[in-house]
Amino acid sequence: MKHWQLSRRTVLRGAGAALALPFLEQMLPSIARADTQPPKRFLAWYVPCGIYMELFTPTTQGAGYALTPILQPLAAHKSDILILTNLANRPARPDGAGDHASGTGAFITAAHPYKTQGSDISNGISIDQVIANQVGQATRFPSLQLGTQGGGTVGDCDSGYSCAYANNISWSGPSTPLAKEVNPQSLFDRLVGDIQQSEAAAQKRRLYQQSILDVVKEDSNRLQGKLGRTDQRKLDEYFTSVREVERRVQQQPPSCPVGTRPNLPTDIRDRATLMLDLMVLAFQCDLTRVASFMLENAGSNYAFTFLGLSGGHHSYSHHGTDQANYDALQAIDTWEMQQLANLLDRMKSVGEPNGTLLDNSVVFLSSEISDGDRHNHDNMPVIVAGRGGGAISPGRHVVFDSEIPVANLFVSLAQVCGASVSTFGNSTGPCPGLSA
Amino acid sequence: MKNASCKLLLPAAMASRLGTAVLWVAVIALNGCFGQSQLSSSDSSTGGGNPGTGDANLCAGPRDPGRITIHRLNRAEYNNTVRDLLGDTTGPSRDFPVDDSGYGFDNIADVLSLSPLLMEKYQAAAEALINAAWDRDSASGGPYSVRVCDPNGNPGCGRQILARFARRAWRRPATSDELDRYVALTNVAAQQGDLAEVGVKLALQAVLVSPSFIYRIELDSDPQTRSAHAVNDYELATRLSYFLGSSTPDDELSSKADNGSLHQPTVLEQQVRRMLGDPKSFALQENFVGQWLYTRATDSVQPDSRLFPMFNDALRAAMRQETQLFVQSLISENRSILDLLDADYTYLNDRLADHYGFPRPGTAVAQRTSVAGSKRGGILTQASFLTATSQPNRTSPVKRGKWVLSQLLCTAPPPPPPNVPPLPEGSGSGSVRQRLEQHRTNPVCASCHSLMDPIGFGLENFDAIGQWRDQDVDGPIDASGVLPGDVSFNGEKQLASILRADPRLPTCVVRQVLTYALGRGLTDADQCAVDDMTRALKTRGTGFADLFAIVATSDAFTQRRGEPGANP
Repeated sequence: MKHWQLSRRTVLRGAGAALALPFLEQMLPSIARADTQPPKRFLAWYVPCGIYMELFTPTTQGAGYALTPILQPLAAHKSDILILTNLANRPARPDGAGDHASGTGAFITAAHPYKTQGSDISNGISIDQVIANQVGQATRFPSLQLGTQGGGTVGDCDSGYSCAYANNISWSGPSTPLAKEVNPQSLFDRLVGDIQQSEAAAQKRRLYQQSILDVVKEDSNRLQGKLGRTDQRKLDEYFTSVREVERRVQQQPPSCPVGTRPNLPTDIRDRATLMLDLMVLAFQCDLTRVASFMLENAGSNYAFTFLGLSGGHHSYSHHGTDQANYDALQAIDTWEMQQLANLLDRMKSVGEPNGTLLDNSVVFLSSEISDGDRHNHDNMPVIVAGRGGGAISPGRHVVFDSEIPVANLFVSLAQVCGASVSTFGNSTGPCPGLSA
Repeated sequence: MKNASCKLLLPAAMASRLGTAVLWVAVIALNGCFGQSQLSSSDSSTGGGNPGTGDANLCAGPRDPGRITIHRLNRAEYNNTVRDLLGDTTGPSRDFPVDDSGYGFDNIADVLSLSPLLMEKYQAAAEALINAAWDRDSASGGPYSVRVCDPNGNPGCGRQILARFARRAWRRPATSDELDRYVALTNVAAQQGDLAEVGVKLALQAVLVSPSFIYRIELDSDPQTRSAHAVNDYELATRLSYFLGSSTPDDELSSKADNGSLHQPTVLEQQVRRMLGDPKSFALQENFVGQWLYTRATDSVQPDSRLFPMFNDALRAAMRQETQLFVQSLISENRSILDLLDADYTYLNDRLADHYGFPRPGTAVAQRTSVAGSKRGGILTQASFLTATSQPNRTSPVKRGKWVLSQLLCTAPPPPPPNVPPLPEGSGSGSVRQRLEQHRTNPVCASCHSLMDPIGFGLENFDAIGQWRDQDVDGPIDASGVLPGDVSFNGEKQLASILRADPRLPTCVVRQVLTYALGRGLTDADQCAVDDMTRALKTRGTGFADLFAIVATSDAFTQRRGEPGANP
């Protein structure tokens, strides 16, 4: 496994049972080979139910733009974020109703999710997976899918769309959503659970795990020929997953300070904090370079009681131009921006040879729709944070004269992250204006 | 309503058969709020669809059993399966990614995908399960024993252990070729200088990671033809066991598969009765009823704590338990499916009795309690449903009405178009009823809301957590409603009796049970089979247990077919 940074094992165990992982300065890894260029990292971040655009979109353009009320939490990061206005995700428009599920399915696929409750799910591959397929092989996890809410909906997920569209933004192929991890403890165990074994024990364990995978892979091979085409496609998911686990088993465990195993919080604020901390850990230790994060699922009706709001998010988002609903949305959206600010804080605190982790990253944040009431898929709320290793010049509000597919942005961001991509979804080219 | 075309596709045969209630159906169709559940639609919503064709001509000839995709165990099924296989009650699937649902249920094979993340969790769970089982066996033995001999220094033992375990885990005997390959795995450990048992444990782990365990696999002799054939007895035992118990077949069911008698209708029905009497059939409450009647949602509802300070986890649990025990009693006593609406008893513990204003039974465990002559009785008066279909801070007649239409009558209205103004909230905006009436002055909204809202109005005496109320902040409760066709009623009791007589109800219950039983969405091609089953159910007297027997012995359940088209 090609680690870009570390040459010695520096496994430290954090003391105490703090809620958040300890990110003490002295625990940050020393950079062994400062001449090596750090890798680029990609994160796609999803928030549900749209954004209150009137208080989100800056009224002025360029570098000197004024932060709007909802963007206030990002004041300290103003020079690290790019606000992009007039991007559209037209393929996300559903057939009939179902904008939440359809917009979520298309969130980073920029493809048109086929309306079905299950028998023939069809979407596109998502941009994080395009990147992971090209740059993810260098790391232990080609990509991570994270979230704060598993699912558990009763009834119809959204107007005839399967919950697969509503609960997943990462798709490895048209019919294969990639389920997300919502439990910080499990994520910690997956990331670094085997880090504390002796080399000999770890080696034998890898051999044994591989031998199990060999047998079940053979089972799946023999079965394949006896099945019809739909069943074969299902079994392909199995085979692909075995291959993926196999690759992971064969790799050396990471050498990186991992902190303490987190506890299992129930509060959404703590869950969000922990997932973001672990994501930064995974980036910092080069366990992965690609991640997606869903802060709740499509059309979430979460009640933000800690913001003094008794109704649900989705109910408020159908604001009907009512001021009380607008006030609630402003509070929720501002809280969401605070979470982004917390992540950017963390990413900036990780030093890398040419700057910080954030400087070498691309964070894309948006929602499944623009306005919660209109359910529109144009004029999307879009923030890009980070410098992508220098390819992006943040600190500006860029307003495109004519509408540009968000797929164009995905093409450009994928290129920034080192993936060779010229077209994606409904793209018409790269996205202008990312560098000044 | 831009998506709900105003089609009137009411078959004449249906109209002649259904009597008075058909008037309501006809008006619904005329109103245009029927677009998604029309007969011509192959994309019916919420496991529902149309309420029946009744056209004998369309239903001539053999029934197409439909095609079922290989079925990954969902989280509930995984936990129950390892419980029955190894006696493990730790619930290892707790950390698995959530199963997506479709057609109203999370056991739909087409939707159950497998990701690398889940594969990793399968491998970790298998290791933990086998290690725990092995250690347990050295102390005890017993029905879940895996370690039936000592493999160290006993060359034939590994194969014996594996053959026995694979038969149970894979729900069919392993082939000798499979056993050869698994036994060979034990050599890997020997080459590393480990004891033979280390290798056997590796092979046992592999049994739990194999596609033969993870998936319920059914094979066709020719996977590319549509001609129906009976599933074999192992496959049938597996279907039945996951249908009624969300788990692997038990010893008796397995023996009926081993001796090849299970497909005989009398044996099959006998097994249905037996399994419905087994405590494991409570899985139907957790999984089928939990999703059909939204009982599961009681786990995640968030009533506003300022308005409802009395709501807590104990009440949450009591609500859930009431509906579970109630529907379980309907099934185990073979009561009419129609009693769902107006049974004169329910299940209360002290907490829920306080909530409903009944005398405490004196227990934390819910007791069967007569509610004859009271305001309660039937699912529409149960707090689990009433709370799950409310907003955090108020009732929602719309959600309650939609629930009745989609879950009980399988005629879900299409969702609202974008840009509809929501109900105004806050003081000075009038009662919920007044605000909804205002909303319905818009004819686009009225076409659907005239179906949903009156049903919800009839339940307005129950607040957002299911307590009785005679008035709310806006004054005395008006629980009257007018259903399409000028059917007026006042209060929950009258509403329940109208619904009880609705011909769509039995058909819909059949559709819900069949969708769950097969783990696939129903299509137009299934309508004739649904009609057959509904007729059989009425002939037998609409008993709930009879319904499960009818579904389990149907062609759709006992047969399968392949699909035309070249393999990729």
